[in-house]
Amino acid sequence: MHHPYISRRRLLQNTATTSAILAGSTVGAGLPQFLLNASDSLDKNSNDNVLVVIQLSGGNDGLNTIVPFKNDRYYAARPTLAIPKDQALKLNDELGLHPAMTDLLKLYETGALAIIQGVGYPNPNRSHFESMDIWHTCRRKTQQRDHGWIGQSVTTALPASQSTPILHLGAEKQPLALAALTPRAISIRSLEQFKLRGNQQAITAAVAQGQAAAPSEGNNGLLDFVQSSTSAALKMSQELIKSAAQNVKHNDAVTYSNNALAQNLRTTAQLIDSPLNTRVYYVTLDGFDTHAQQANAHQVLSGQWSSALGAFIADIKQRGHQQRVTVMVFSEFGRRIEENASKGTDHGTAAPMFLAGAAVKAGVIGDHPSLDNIQQGDLKYAVDFRQVYATVLDWMEWDSITALNGEYSTLPLFL
Amino acid sequence: MNHIDPAWAWSTFQPTNRRPWNLTQAAHLYRRTGFGVRRGELQRAVAGGVQRCVKQVLHDNQEPQSFHDEMTRMTRSIVASGNLQSLATAWLYRMLKTSDQLHEKTTLFWHGHFATSAAKVEDAFMMQQQNDLLRKHAIGDFGEMVQEISQNPAMLLYLDSANNRKTHPNENFARELMELFCLGEGNYTEQDIRELARCFTGWEVRNRAYRFNKYQHDFGKKSFLGTQGALTGQQAVAHVISTPAASLFIARKLVKYYVMDEPAAADELLAPLAQRLRKDQFQIRGTLEMIFRSNLFYSEHAVARKIKSPVELVVGIMRGLSIKTDLTQVAQRLLELGHGVYFPPNVKGWDGGRTWINSSTLLGRSNLMHELIHSENTTFDNKSLQAHLQNNRIHSLAQAATYFSDLFCAVPLADNTKDQLIASAQKETGHTDQQFKSLLHQIVSLPQFQLG
Repeated sequence: MHHPYISRRRLLQNTATTSAILAGSTVGAGLPQFLLNASDSLDKNSNDNVLVVIQLSGGNDGLNTIVPFKNDRYYAARPTLAIPKDQALKLNDELGLHPAMTDLLKLYETGALAIIQGVGYPNPNRSHFESMDIWHTCRRKTQQRDHGWIGQSVTTALPASQSTPILHLGAEKQPLALAALTPRAISIRSLEQFKLRGNQQAITAAVAQGQAAAPSEGNNGLLDFVQSSTSAALKMSQELIKSAAQNVKHNDAVTYSNNALAQNLRTTAQLIDSPLNTRVYYVTLDGFDTHAQQANAHQVLSGQWSSALGAFIADIKQRGHQQRVTVMVFSEFGRRIEENASKGTDHGTAAPMFLAGAAVKAGVIGDHPSLDNIQQGDLKYAVDFRQVYATVLDWMEWDSITALNGEYSTLPLFL
Repeated sequence: MNHIDPAWAWSTFQPTNRRPWNLTQAAHLYRRTGFGVRRGELQRAVAGGVQRCVKQVLHDNQEPQSFHDEMTRMTRSIVASGNLQSLATAWLYRMLKTSDQLHEKTTLFWHGHFATSAAKVEDAFMMQQQNDLLRKHAIGDFGEMVQEISQNPAMLLYLDSANNRKTHPNENFARELMELFCLGEGNYTEQDIRELARCFTGWEVRNRAYRFNKYQHDFGKKSFLGTQGALTGQQAVAHVISTPAASLFIARKLVKYYVMDEPAAADELLAPLAQRLRKDQFQIRGTLEMIFRSNLFYSEHAVARKIKSPVELVVGIMRGLSIKTDLTQVAQRLLELGHGVYFPPNVKGWDGGRTWINSSTLLGRSNLMHELIHSENTTFDNKSLQAHLQNNRIHSLAQAATYFSDLFCAVPLADNTKDQLIASAQKETGHTDQQFKSLLHQIVSLPQFQLG
């Protein structure tokens, strides 16, 4: 039983919440220099567990990610797309990784990767947007969905005074998973965007005055929303400027690739290693909707997230945070078993999820989904994604029942 | 607030003392049916009356042939150069300059509806061809538009449907046709998608043009959405549009775009609009007219119940103050803010509403305004801001605060807020022009300005 606001770990360690450092980077850039220059001595870094979510948008082809290289049915269904047996990176006698995922294989071999097979949910929806919303909110379309599973978890678990509990790094719109009735998640695209030009003081005062004024005609909820969002953004911007001298360390021993995902994970590692007590980081990689000419695109994407994740885990380890950081990787659905005539695959259902980090109990969890016992040409799921969420939330020492809209049994995914 | 009587909602708006036709309402009409106007036009609109104003917006603003030709020349030379981002610049120019504001506003609506990104298509000719298609039918025949978009090379490439063979039909176009273009999620089954996909087999793109490959078309019998037969792709599209969910789906999207971001309109409220669409056989103009003449449109449910998109934000202030600036730079900033025209984020287009707003975009919006207002390349009707205001008989910061609020703020600024902003602007050292600019930037950074 958890106290709704204070986790056990928190009580024991009495970690000071420090003023927030906010920093982001676009492709190719690390943290800005003025953040890297140490001056003041630091507050003690936090020891709370941290979750990093990597969202693979568009529907990742699970069958070509975890390849069942002994299955004739797989090769029959994928005449041009199947990964040849001798190219798959062997996990065991039956399964292999996509050949582009050498870094993921290393994680697996060093005991830092759990592969959860056949993850999905009942009555699968094959619309990108609807399925992603289901993964983000744990609710169907017919139910009210104004907050996401992470946003709700944070609302329940952390006091409102804790700044920046959730950080989304990327240019895309903020994922619904982070939404909450009182927004807590900060989205950052670049540092330049996060410093207000012009008369910040005057604007801040005028926003506050607007908020204090009598309600507008008909209680305009949209105006309230923009007002609270604006004052939060201005506050964060000010904190950023104030904390500009805070120390964030480079780690030159680890090399990240020069793509947005890798660079966002690099920034994430730097921030985890800073006094900023952010508990959830969220990054995405788009492009998995491979209806045509899949082979090349999927190869590039698989290599990208595999190598970015490999670099991140190495970085986190060097910085000494490996025990308290777990990465979770998911996509809104897998793809159809049979390839289509455009050398691509259409929207499918169940697919693997991944957890990475030193706290994770490594291995392949569950059986590979059957290619014979199928439903409408698609794989049947064996693990409900909310079981994975429940397990991760449990590890975070956060309550999961409200966030997941029900009680889900946990899985043995952590040591 | 939650229940809105449909009979009242769609009756013709008659100004009353409580809800007069005034500057605020006129600014609302021009913001929603276009990208805003200058204050002189607002004053003329108020004097002319609401119904005359709506008639003008809908029927009397055709682009002069000379402007039309200018745009055609401009886009042709850009297509020849192949520069995709320049296409976006040219479209912004058109939004700024066209007399037919509603037409461009609605073309932008369909661009989000039939979202196709140049980032994937990577071909200026095909992207502009699609843009022309959307403009041609924007306020015309929805059925025709869907038929043409179904064979539009940019769309087919974007949805990975440039090859479609009968042995293994590609389902993507069939899915998006029902989910995003015509019916909405939940109004069809997975089986419907598989059957509908068969109708589009043999539809191909070759040399940047649509081609029907009869050897790859499945001429067999199909069964979907309550019909059966050896339907062709065209017949299939017509059938999808004829199902009851279609008119309601389009009515809902129009209301969200033109009337209110939230709450989502009830089916009951949408029913008369959907009925009008069907009666007009999906000719769009009559439905738009019904919206812009309605009680609902001028009510508290609609006024200030939308969040400005980045394009509306920028084009609105530029039109309102006759700003000239480096449009290429503006187009780039809009792309960074997530609203790059020709570059929608995915096939669903822009969600709009609250999704425009987060900490990063709010600061980004304010910074974009700062750059626009203070850029060396920016002029206000070829003058300084101060001189432009003087031409409009605005001489003091106090007058300017009201002027900006009237033009740009869907929720008018309170007097004490104006006083405070004026006081801050007065502290600005340097030329008086800087004080006006500082005041303007403060106002366009406020929540009241973000509402459209």
